[in-house]
Amino acid sequence: MMDVGRHPNINLMTYSQVESISGYVGNFHVKVQKKARYVNADECTACGDCAEVCPVIVPDEYQQGLSCRKAVYIPFPQAVPSASLIDMENCLGTNPIACGKCAEKCDKKCIDYDMKDEVIKFDVGTVIVATGMDVYNPTELDEYGYTKYENVITSMEYERLMSAGGPSDGHFIRPTDRKRPKTVGFIQCVGSRSEKCGNTYCSNICCMNTIKDTLLLKEHYPDIEAKVFYIDIRAFGKGFEDLFKRSKEAGVVYIRGIPGEIIEDPKTHNLNVMVEDTTANKIEEHEFDMMVLSVGVTPRFDMPEVQQLLTLSKTPDGFFMEAHPKLKPVDAPTTGVYFAGCAEAPKDIKDSVTQASAAAARAETLLSAGKVKLEAITSTLNQDLCRYCAMCSKVCPYNAFTVDPKNKTITYVEALCKGCGTCAAECRFGALSMKHFTDNQIIAQIDAHLAEDPQDKVIVFACNWCSYAGADTCGGARLQYPSNQRLIRTMCSGRVHEEFVLHAFRKGAPMVVVSGCHYVDCHYIDANRWTQKRVEKLWDKLEKWGIRPERLLLEWISAAEGQRFQKTMQDIEELRKQVTKEEIEYTIKVLTKEEEKKKQKLEKLKQKQ
Amino acid sequence: MEEKDFKCLRCGAVNKYPYEKGKMIERQCPKCGSNSIRLIKEKSPDKDKK
Repeated sequence: MMDVGRHPNINLMTYSQVESISGYVGNFHVKVQKKARYVNADECTACGDCAEVCPVIVPDEYQQGLSCRKAVYIPFPQAVPSASLIDMENCLGTNPIACGKCAEKCDKKCIDYDMKDEVIKFDVGTVIVATGMDVYNPTELDEYGYTKYENVITSMEYERLMSAGGPSDGHFIRPTDRKRPKTVGFIQCVGSRSEKCGNTYCSNICCMNTIKDTLLLKEHYPDIEAKVFYIDIRAFGKGFEDLFKRSKEAGVVYIRGIPGEIIEDPKTHNLNVMVEDTTANKIEEHEFDMMVLSVGVTPRFDMPEVQQLLTLSKTPDGFFMEAHPKLKPVDAPTTGVYFAGCAEAPKDIKDSVTQASAAAARAETLLSAGKVKLEAITSTLNQDLCRYCAMCSKVCPYNAFTVDPKNKTITYVEALCKGCGTCAAECRFGALSMKHFTDNQIIAQIDAHLAEDPQDKVIVFACNWCSYAGADTCGGARLQYPSNQRLIRTMCSGRVHEEFVLHAFRKGAPMVVVSGCHYVDCHYIDANRWTQKRVEKLWDKLEKWGIRPERLLLEWISAAEGQRFQKTMQDIEELRKQVTKEEIEYTIKVLTKEEEKKKQKLEKLKQKQ
Repeated sequence: MEEKDFKCLRCGAVNKYPYEKGKMIERQCPKCGSNSIRLIKEKSPDKDKK
């Protein structure tokens, strides 16, 4: 951290908050609010004299609330810059000055009560999101008595108690009597891997953190008895299994089973647990002086704000989603934005450093090239046809459009477009099209597929990344599916215009399928949500016109789901057989009539304008 | 979240799924695995009268 602070090419902005980020790769405009420290950081020597005289005492966040700090303080010993700041929420007040003791005491006159927040604007080429994570708050788990029993602590509090710079100067003491405990129990997976409370995912780091904690405990106090309750130990990294063995050899007992409840003895404040040891297949009772809850990792509380700033998407567990889990693990779906550390997923220090190095290298590659290769498949805008309805700006997952309906202006940044085609599918005025996937090109494919015996064919719109790849997986695995399915590839299911579906029905298709990625896999952040909305509207329209909505299906098939693709296509073939000749004829008749009506409406509109 | 009846357009199974107006949720039929899950809309009494 010191190196970063001193580096001539790094501008470290601490105690600051990013207010907005606009623009695109190579041209991001950033606005940062630099909060007032009320202490001149350049002059402050971090002598701590101001904190000594400050009368305000508040819980110290860095020490997990186990000790206190003053209103004027240094956030933590290694903080960069090494300078104090005043916590104005807790200071007795500066207008008028209620106390002023810190200013009186400071020989260098660093205290400045008139300091104001600053807004700094600058441009950057790339952005690395390294916003970190939070830890699970176990207060909701009544059974572990974290809020009732002082001797139940979290793994973060344990870290502080064991640290030489901690509230007890590195002496491991139990909170109720300030004495060294003789027995310590660790409960794993608190807030992780649970369907009922906390999070369903594995937090990745807790097993190794506990193993490290027990080794530390045994190194400092070999006489302390330590027992770890676990579901299974996930020691999968390099050297991790050795560390686990070392912990066991040091005398730490590992019991496979999670206690259901912690009960405190009110006299001794000792903690009793009952657990089913699933290895020994018996119920056991244990008594401890202290219990450590190995709490999991959660996404940071302010992730929604960061998500909005950079138009990022999240996975169901709440962490940021990468552009591709295997091929682009540090890239965000927005070009020029990269991830490092737990913002993307829970990970340990080694993985965070690896990812951070990769992110830095990816950013550097882009910056040093000086030029950016953009998608060849992007939308094209015909401004003459645009009616400034702003639908494109609403549906674009990358904010490539800015529309002002009042002043009738539209700005389209092609560099931001990733080519999902949702805008082209939603534009009612034909102002937007997609390079290589124009309306005419897709309509021509439909016409070609249905030129002969349309009643025997099924038109399947498949997205490039998932469904089409799923069909490929199906074929690669030699799984048989009906040969009358006609696949039309689009980059995203969001590109499938309502008119494509209706055109296929007009041409005599008995069944039409729109398929794309599962919600979590969408390669265009959330473009496939618009597909679903469109299909739902189409079901209503078809029903209104007396056409069975069952003839239009929506299916999410991932690239790995070859079998699912096969099953879906087999089921659809059965449904196709049920569509009668009369039904198809009726559909053609009704939809042709509706098309005529639509054309007449458009003509009238044009004449009015 | 409120639960409403939805019909699977592939197999016809009717099931309850979480529903919130304006919120998009991925739904899958437990019987056939299809995502063609359509909300069964209740007819308003006025329409019935007509």
